[in-house]
Amino acid sequence: MATLHLLSQSPFTNTQLKSCLRLLGDTDGLMLCGDAVYVLNSAPELAPELQVLAAKGALYALEEDQIARNCIQEGVVQSLNYAQFVALCCQYDRVNSWV
Amino acid sequence: MAKSLLVISRQAPWSGLGAREALDLVLAGGAFDLPISLLFLDDGVFQLLPEQKPEALQQKDVTANLAALPLFGVEQLYAARTDLVQRGLGESQLALESVRILEDGALADLINRHDQVMTF
Amino acid sequence: MSTEYRRDAEGYLMDLEAWSESVAEVIAQEEGLVLGTEHWEILWLLRDFYQRFQLAPATRPLIKYVAQQLGPEKGNSLYLNHLFKGTPAKLAAKLAGLPKPTNCI
Repeated sequence: MATLHLLSQSPFTNTQLKSCLRLLGDTDGLMLCGDAVYVLNSAPELAPELQVLAAKGALYALEEDQIARNCIQEGVVQSLNYAQFVALCCQYDRVNSWV
Repeated sequence: MAKSLLVISRQAPWSGLGAREALDLVLAGGAFDLPISLLFLDDGVFQLLPEQKPEALQQKDVTANLAALPLFGVEQLYAARTDLVQRGLGESQLALESVRILEDGALADLINRHDQVMTF
Repeated sequence: MSTEYRRDAEGYLMDLEAWSESVAEVIAQEEGLVLGTEHWEILWLLRDFYQRFQLAPATRPLIKYVAQQLGPEKGNSLYLNHLFKGTPAKLAAKLAGLPKPTNCI
């Protein structure tokens, strides 16, 4: 019974990421879209919670948003195209979009 | 059996449309007898501050509407303790009496108990 | 006694304060309804509901509120449907000068 959380806003102007990390369960996943990928720019000093997620393979990002913003962190995050993104959503019991 | 829905309301009442939209969704779901729950998170807990006077901003009173939730059959109401404490809101002074206060550790469980979740 | 009051396309009052018992009588006449004590009791209750909650109730919350305030013999769909031609939430809101209830089919 896991949830995939979708974030879309910059972690530097919005508290989405911080709040989301508070309510993340052990088997939940996190997908970064839009300006949310900027959090990867601060790697390797990612928040410990994000490092844990990455180590579990539960941290994803939309590849085109990463490329557009030059926020590519290989080995930290799993980069997905749209088809893979859709497939990922189907793997989870529910998807929570943070607007 | 209809799918259960958790609505997460995390915006302050008069800062934009988020609080209004979350509430409208919950009221609509309640009117149609859907199993629906509402969680106040982040600035969303400011919706629970009593004695607000939105007329001063020519706004409709979201907090007055909240009091009608039990009549709409929406009785699963929750708020995050961390956010209440951070924002100086005492649990005994909340505008809604029937809100259950949850620790951060219980939030993931709450979400995963529902079929669907929407955040505003 | 015809005072000025604006109404929307469906006949709901635009301004809560423009309501009076005589306005309700005019609307009732249009709807082919004669208002008796039982009707007035519900209309005043709806006015109170709007004061408290700032919204016009859909059918289920209306029934629940009437049951809470006046008891179950009045807070049921049979009684309210009978009084308000089968559409209590909409018709009673119109007669009480409230806006059209949202979430009402």
